[in-house]
Amino acid sequence: MEQVIRARRFLAAILLLCAPLSTRAAEQPSEYQVKAVFLLNFVKFIEWPASAFARADSPVTICIWGKDPFGETLDRTMAGEVVNGRRVVATRITRAPSPRSCQVLFLETWEKEAAKAVSGLGPGVLTVGEGRDFLRNSGMIAFSVEDRRVRFDINRTAAERASLKLSSKLLSVARNVEQ
Amino acid sequence: MRPFRDIPIRQKLMLIVMVTTGAAMLFAATGVVALDSFLFRNSLRRDLSSLAQIIADNSTAAAAFSDERSAAETLNALRARPHVASACIYLVDGTMLAGYSRAGETDTCPAARGSNELRFGSSGVTVSQAIVLSGRRVGTLMLFYDLGEITERIEVFGAIVLGVLLMSSVIAFLLSSRLRSIIATSISQLVSASRSVSETNDYSIRARKVSNDELGVLADRFNEMLAGIQSRDDTLRAALRDREEALHDAETARERFRFMAESMPQKIFTATPRGDVDYFNQQWTEFTGLAFKAIQNWGWTQFVHPGDLKANLDQWRHSLETGEPLLFQRRLCRADGEYRWHLSRVHPMRDEQGAISMWIGSDTDIHEQKEKEQELRLANEDLQQFAYSASHDLQEPVRNVTIYSEVISRRYQRVLDAEGLQFLGFLTEGGRRLATLINDLLAYTRAGVLESETAPVNSSLVLEMTLSSLAEAIRESGASLTYDSLPEIAMSEAHLQQVFQNLIGNALKYRREERPQIHISAVREDGGWRFSVRDNGIGINPLYKEKIFGVFKRLHRNDKYSGTGIGLAICQRVVERYGGRIWVESEPRRGATFYFTVPETTPRIPSRPVDSAAGGGQSS
Repeated sequence: MEQVIRARRFLAAILLLCAPLSTRAAEQPSEYQVKAVFLLNFVKFIEWPASAFARADSPVTICIWGKDPFGETLDRTMAGEVVNGRRVVATRITRAPSPRSCQVLFLETWEKEAAKAVSGLGPGVLTVGEGRDFLRNSGMIAFSVEDRRVRFDINRTAAERASLKLSSKLLSVARNVEQ
Repeated sequence: MRPFRDIPIRQKLMLIVMVTTGAAMLFAATGVVALDSFLFRNSLRRDLSSLAQIIADNSTAAAAFSDERSAAETLNALRARPHVASACIYLVDGTMLAGYSRAGETDTCPAARGSNELRFGSSGVTVSQAIVLSGRRVGTLMLFYDLGEITERIEVFGAIVLGVLLMSSVIAFLLSSRLRSIIATSISQLVSASRSVSETNDYSIRARKVSNDELGVLADRFNEMLAGIQSRDDTLRAALRDREEALHDAETARERFRFMAESMPQKIFTATPRGDVDYFNQQWTEFTGLAFKAIQNWGWTQFVHPGDLKANLDQWRHSLETGEPLLFQRRLCRADGEYRWHLSRVHPMRDEQGAISMWIGSDTDIHEQKEKEQELRLANEDLQQFAYSASHDLQEPVRNVTIYSEVISRRYQRVLDAEGLQFLGFLTEGGRRLATLINDLLAYTRAGVLESETAPVNSSLVLEMTLSSLAEAIRESGASLTYDSLPEIAMSEAHLQQVFQNLIGNALKYRREERPQIHISAVREDGGWRFSVRDNGIGINPLYKEKIFGVFKRLHRNDKYSGTGIGLAICQRVVERYGGRIWVESEPRRGATFYFTVPETTPRIPSRPVDSAAGGGQSS
């Protein structure tokens, strides 16, 4: 008996030592934490035309238009990230963005006004939203939750119309790719 | 089991070849296997790490978006590599995104590791590869490669190596059995040759030379050695045969010598170079009545007359030292005690190098001869004595005859008629000639007497004295007389004067019409002096060269050259008394030269001196 107790104590000590890693692994990430990471990962698999940026060293800016479901998670995720020599920053906007100020535009809810504004922005803006309807309204990537897992669908035609090059790897992990 | 060094060379060679080949093959095979496994590991390492990289690269999106389906699809591509037993993709938080295991197996995936690594284990290789997206790690690929392939490879290699070993051993065996005969034949040739030589002692046997290598050289040397032994053997046999023949010859020669020595009337003996007498013939033992043992070596001295022994020994030792032959007269004691005179001659026998190998001596009995000689000498001496005293005693009456015939012719000249005076003249002349004759005879007998002591005499002085006594005759003839300086010699003054007087007198007497020219000289000769008296007179017919030295021998009638015919006889007697010689060289009408020699030392020939009356007689 005593041996069993000792073994358990030893195991507990090891678990304690590995605490930072195990707690993170054990702790199930929230939906928007995952979505924040996905947003960052999209940047890594997509190529923007040079005209999409104001300057050569302009950061890749992720703009949250309207309601912000991420909170500070988004900022934490993007902190210090650099993709293809450009920093990745997140910003919240309440009005339609000016051209070349946003490379990724996240809209939690699709509105007519927003669609009008987006089409006015010209090429070089990736639109990310929620639900499959988003794609029917010329959105490019739409999150959805399936079996408590975050997935996404891609409207490839819309993305290509916006002069964005989507990596085949990205396409291979999408749940659906609409042509 | 026999030690290696004792097994036959044939097997040794086989063993060496097999062991060498086996070792070389084993080493080579080990090397090949080791190199192959090294190269295989290296290529496997490269192969596996590139495989892992490709899969990790293809899994970036799957890992980034936690897409299990896509990850599983990527991993399924590993089906093409049957040795990949299992593979997994882990996310950064440690959860497994997708797993793969070989069909029909349920291998569990290795746990995720932090770093890129490739670890060889006992059963396989574990590969850990990070999945990186834009410099950030998004997951880990783990891969387990089962090493069954290596084992298979080693098995195949082992089988090949074993096969090659076996094959090469068989080939080496076959080849070496052919090759070793090359060496083994040479050696067995040598062995069989040496065996038959030692068994038969026949040195004409030769080993057959099979090759030109060291064994060929060995065979040549062996054969040369045999040839050397053979020739030495032959030489030895020949030498033995020669020696036997020489011994036989020597034996024959010895027998012949013995037989010769025994059959001789003389007494024969031989002595060693040191003078030990080692042989006496039978005549000796018969004569002395002593056994050989008693007289051998120096035992002979016991039968030599004590009066002769010392001189005998001295001369014998002298001969032994110098190697000169010995000639000696001695008296030897006969068995009945009587001493008999013997002439003893001993000669050295020399070998090829000139060293004395032995002495051979003979003794001849000269007793009879010696006695006769003695008798003769005594008779001669008696005769001489008689002649001396006769001529001495005759002088007186003859002188009376001469004197009184002269007295008569002076005093009674007128009384006697012419015929009587003529008869008286014949008487006076005859008396005078008789007196001269008697004087000469006296001189002749006196010439035979050798004075006991002969002091050296200056011959020049003697010559001058002679010339002064001949002064009258020289003056009358008008002769010219010359002479060289003459030596001192061992001769009695009177004797030398006699010789000079006769020779010079003859030269003056037997002259031709012209003025006589006479020259006296002396030259040194072996062992003495040679005198010569040369004239330019009538000379002597060579027919009479010897005759003229006889007593009363005259070549001319009395009326032409007066003389008694005794002068040259006196000269010969004197010269021979001193051991010299006298002779003449001449041609008729060309003059004559008389020579006589005087030895340095006069041999003392023992002779009984003429009675002391001789000396007295002369003075009276």
